[in-house]
Amino acid sequence: MITKEELTALMADLESDRIERTESVNNTDKFSQAVCAFANDLPNHKRPGYLVIGVDKLGKPCGINVTEQLLENLGALRSNGNIQPLPVIHVAKITLEGGDVAVVEVQPSDLPPLRYKGQVWVRVGPRKATASEQEERILTEKRISKARSYDASPVGEASLTDLSLTQFQAYRQEVIDPEVIAANHRSVEDQLASLRFFDNQHHVPTVAGMLLFGKNPRFYLPGAYIQFLRLPGNTLTDRPDDEAEISGDLLSVLRELDIRVAANIQKRPESTSILREKNTADYPDVAIREILLNAIMHRDYQSNTPVKLYWFSDHIEIHSPGGLYGEVTPATLEKRSSYRNPVLAEAMKALGYVNRYGYGIQRAKSAMEKNGNPPIQFEVDERIFLATLPVRNV
Amino acid sequence: MKTIAFFNNKGGVGKTSLVYHLAWMYADRGIRTLAIDLDPQANLSAMFLDEERLADLWDDSERSTIYDSLLPLMNRTGDIAPPHVEQIAEKLGLVCGNLALSRFEDLLSENWPKCLDGQQAAFRVITAFHRIIEAAAQAMTAELVLIDVGPNLGAINRSALIASEQVVLPLAPDLFSIQGLKNLGPTLQDWRKGWRKRLDELPSNAGISAPSGNMTPIGYVVMQHGIRDSRPVKAYSRWMEKIPGVYRQALLNEQEQPVSVTEDPYTLALLKHYRSLMPLAMEANKPMFFLKPVDGAIGAHVEAVRACYNDFHTLARKIAGYAGIAVS
Repeated sequence: MITKEELTALMADLESDRIERTESVNNTDKFSQAVCAFANDLPNHKRPGYLVIGVDKLGKPCGINVTEQLLENLGALRSNGNIQPLPVIHVAKITLEGGDVAVVEVQPSDLPPLRYKGQVWVRVGPRKATASEQEERILTEKRISKARSYDASPVGEASLTDLSLTQFQAYRQEVIDPEVIAANHRSVEDQLASLRFFDNQHHVPTVAGMLLFGKNPRFYLPGAYIQFLRLPGNTLTDRPDDEAEISGDLLSVLRELDIRVAANIQKRPESTSILREKNTADYPDVAIREILLNAIMHRDYQSNTPVKLYWFSDHIEIHSPGGLYGEVTPATLEKRSSYRNPVLAEAMKALGYVNRYGYGIQRAKSAMEKNGNPPIQFEVDERIFLATLPVRNV
Repeated sequence: MKTIAFFNNKGGVGKTSLVYHLAWMYADRGIRTLAIDLDPQANLSAMFLDEERLADLWDDSERSTIYDSLLPLMNRTGDIAPPHVEQIAEKLGLVCGNLALSRFEDLLSENWPKCLDGQQAAFRVITAFHRIIEAAAQAMTAELVLIDVGPNLGAINRSALIASEQVVLPLAPDLFSIQGLKNLGPTLQDWRKGWRKRLDELPSNAGISAPSGNMTPIGYVVMQHGIRDSRPVKAYSRWMEKIPGVYRQALLNEQEQPVSVTEDPYTLALLKHYRSLMPLAMEANKPMFFLKPVDGAIGAHVEAVRACYNDFHTLARKIAGYAGIAVS
């Protein structure tokens, strides 16, 4: 994070386009556009940009009160998922000569173009605006030259014909602003590339493109499926009652999982008061769903191992290949989130499977507690992330 | 703060669903919006909240519905209690309805004539809704208040409508709605006149905030809910043709040659039936235009969701325009 001295020096430079000053403390739209523009880094500074809240146009602090709530709101610029793919930001309160300010430090992204509410925002000098098609193409090409996540890397032997374009067009409606779609002159390759599903340099789909719209993703990504087993007892040695390998494009997989989870949970009504009758279930569906989504979103797709969903008589096991990633440790499981697959994380939000980032495990835990289940156990090493959900105490 | 009531003398045309969707739309476009459920059926509250939360609000433990704000008045122990605003989204609040609200009817009827004698206590009762709305809107700094009222011409609705600056009329193109319109127009005019008379009697030093009672009708929304499936097209278009004329006569006292519904400036919208979306929306507990693939909005639904968003966006802009609020 930037120091007070560095910030003061940067503030004095009124010409700099790496800083945006604002007096307002609650103009979320404006903040998000600024974060989006800095992360896109169109001028190619390769250095972070700064949104400074609580200063006037000349950079003089106007004496705002930097509350915990304000810092939390600024942190939510990332976790609410309106900027996609997720930007890397740090938020801090810095005390200057004339008063306190809140600072949001935005790192240039590895995966441009970033969008806020479906529009690409960029900065060129003092101008902040939505990108032209030409500027968007520059950003897309910039990505190709950067080191990047596996889900944005090209799938060697595949081609455009391996993707279902009708699926993609429907998806595009979800993530691109309608006005942009209406005024579109881009080729399908450019449309795909701008959303990180196609690599324009090698003319092949990316891993994320294959996972989301592939006609047969398992052909290229052998581990990209879910192994489901329903067992009569509490060991793997019994003969399964039911088994399935769930594969296909991501949306089909997720929808099939929803149906399977709903079909396997046992519910029965119990009255809790005159006004209320509660359906009690042996597992809260929210918890299973959140852990499964986590497994699918964070797993390592380079591994040939599938995600495993084992449904025993007294517990459920969900195995996700690839262990923890980035800055998350077993101790900070609920507090931190790092994204091994940022493009996939973006898609989960667009499809509506994620509402807010970084709350899945918390939601799962509290749902288990509310439903009367013992707590979830996590076992983590470098290769595997295992969650065990015990059945409700009867 | 602007207040708009949605009022209709004939139930079952989809009025509550209209209020629900408009409230979400305004909040989505960045306008701080308060929805208030003054229909004793409390359907609007049931749309916004799941059963568990609703049971919490109705249980004796929380006591945070419109009825609980009125309780001191009803028990004659004091003035209204500060209302609870249930936060639905960042810019959307709800004052929750209650089935028990029906019990307020008698007290309102009893106090309506007493206002003519300038009795302060009577004014406190009759302006209770208005003051609850003011307090709730202030608590969440709402710019716009949408009021859902039941489909009748009773004392509760009189008091709720007096608190509204503007009125939108959701209609279906059928005999009942046309007939309802004929009753509703003159009633609104009586209420307006009656309230003006009473306002003159309100002692200026009473310190009771009183509404102007304008109830300006801004137009009607035709709800085309499956009417066409169940009846011959001819009957449907016959009622459609009648709407502009009856509206002018009943609400504006105009006798001019009416235009067709599609050209009528008082037509705020002709809303289609979003047949496949509504059940998905109810299941997901969110408005139709926010449906995502996770909720089952896939394939052709994606287009339908977007079209639905545009329809409500257009309608929201039009209605807010009359209230002097610009919607982006």
